[in-house]
Amino acid sequence: MVWKIFLFIILAFVSIAGISFPIVENPQAWYQFPLIPGLEENAKIIFFHVPTAWLTVIGFLMSTVFSIKYLRKRNLDDDAKSYAAAQLGLMFCILATVTGAVWAKFAWGSYWSWDPRQTSIFALLLIYGAWFALRSSIESEDKRATLSAVYSIIAFVTVPFFVFIMPRIMDGLHPGSADDKFSPSGGPVVNFQMNSSMLLIFFLSLIGFTILYYWMWRLGYKSLLYKEKLNKKLIRG
Amino acid sequence: MEGFYKFLENNSIFIVMIIVLIVWIGIFAFLSILDKRLKGIEKEIEGYKNEK
Amino acid sequence: MKPYALFKKDYHSELRTRYAINSLVMFIIVALSVILFSIGNEKIPQNLTAGLLWVVIFFSAMSGLSRAFVSEEERGTSLILHLIAAPTTIFSGKLLFNLILVFLMNIIITILYSVLFEEFIIRNFLLFFLTFILSNIGLAIASTIIAAIISKAGAKGTLYPVLSFPILLPLILISVMLTSYSMVGTSFADAVIELAVLACYDVIMLTISYMLFDFIWKD
Repeated sequence: MVWKIFLFIILAFVSIAGISFPIVENPQAWYQFPLIPGLEENAKIIFFHVPTAWLTVIGFLMSTVFSIKYLRKRNLDDDAKSYAAAQLGLMFCILATVTGAVWAKFAWGSYWSWDPRQTSIFALLLIYGAWFALRSSIESEDKRATLSAVYSIIAFVTVPFFVFIMPRIMDGLHPGSADDKFSPSGGPVVNFQMNSSMLLIFFLSLIGFTILYYWMWRLGYKSLLYKEKLNKKLIRG
Repeated sequence: MEGFYKFLENNSIFIVMIIVLIVWIGIFAFLSILDKRLKGIEKEIEGYKNEK
Repeated sequence: MKPYALFKKDYHSELRTRYAINSLVMFIIVALSVILFSIGNEKIPQNLTAGLLWVVIFFSAMSGLSRAFVSEEERGTSLILHLIAAPTTIFSGKLLFNLILVFLMNIIITILYSVLFEEFIIRNFLLFFLTFILSNIGLAIASTIIAAIISKAGAKGTLYPVLSFPILLPLILISVMLTSYSMVGTSFADAVIELAVLACYDVIMLTISYMLFDFIWKD
């Protein structure tokens, strides 16, 4: 119970701080953000957009981990866990795409410009779509679990190409691209032009969203589990 | 109260903040209720098993 | 049973019907003529030419390569294959067959393409050659393992491009980049990183396919 209150406070604080803290040129007080040239108020998206993209990858990672577990133990519960994780991942993937596109219209001038990171989130969207299409095409439970587990592992090994390699060898608009003048070698994804208070809120936001994801995932997979149990009970009478 | 209204009218970003907070409270409440309901179902299923 | 024997069996049954080869060649012609019709007399920029080449290659691959495993399921011979050969052997044999098919298909596409498109001039031939070989290997591996998944799933035809596209996307993006590099005439040293990424993709796909094929096949 404590962690739920903790989660509530973290995300409430993040939304208060992330939205209302002023952006000034030379931050003095702890609650002031630095002015990033070219972004200004738009920079505040980082507290809400980056966590959704992060959860997309986390969702995919969890789905793959439970897929591997399923292939080793052949326990259908693991398949349900993987399914619940992927469902949430798809939801956050759509959120990341939409929030990013809306933001890009005002910061970069167009909704979609095939920046390498936009390409990679689009590829993740396609992978999730293909995964659910594959699942819906198979009737038998065991077969569905095995084949979708195999496919999610194959798809997972291509993700590093999108997330880590492509953005660094292609020119793009996101921080950390190959032509980024602030980190020419293709540095970390988080460009450390932020000051410490901005970083603190950013990481708090990541932690908060991750806990939120965990909670939602638990609810999702438990409901799948009980549905399964009730089905079996009804069949046995 | 009057001053507060003036302040909100001049700094509309705080209105956005309040709206986001309300939305977050709504989502949180929804999730909590869902969690409680699932726990209830869990108990029911376990109890059913014990009766048999 | 050796992978080569399985390859020979596939080769002979393919020669008997010529289903895959005929449909592949026809598909290539159809795709190329659609592109040519839509271009008309316009001059198209160079990077678009490189992209269109890979559009043709991707869709032609999608039309023919799923046959490898689907034909076994259709004829009901997959159970017999189960009995006489180990999964890795079967995968090697099918991979060999698909590799040859991909190389044949892409050689035809490239020749036709360079005849039909005047803009398609390769300035750095070695770079294009290496890209061609590495991406063909990657294409064959990825499409073979997806074909194995598809053959066990219910909807066989329509799902194949849907499942393959996200897996092949890194390969296609890098190949398009490398093809336009070799058309511009970028020096070999400037494209080494991209070639290394392509080689990485091939190795990773090969390993993961051999690791996971057991699970698909034993189902």
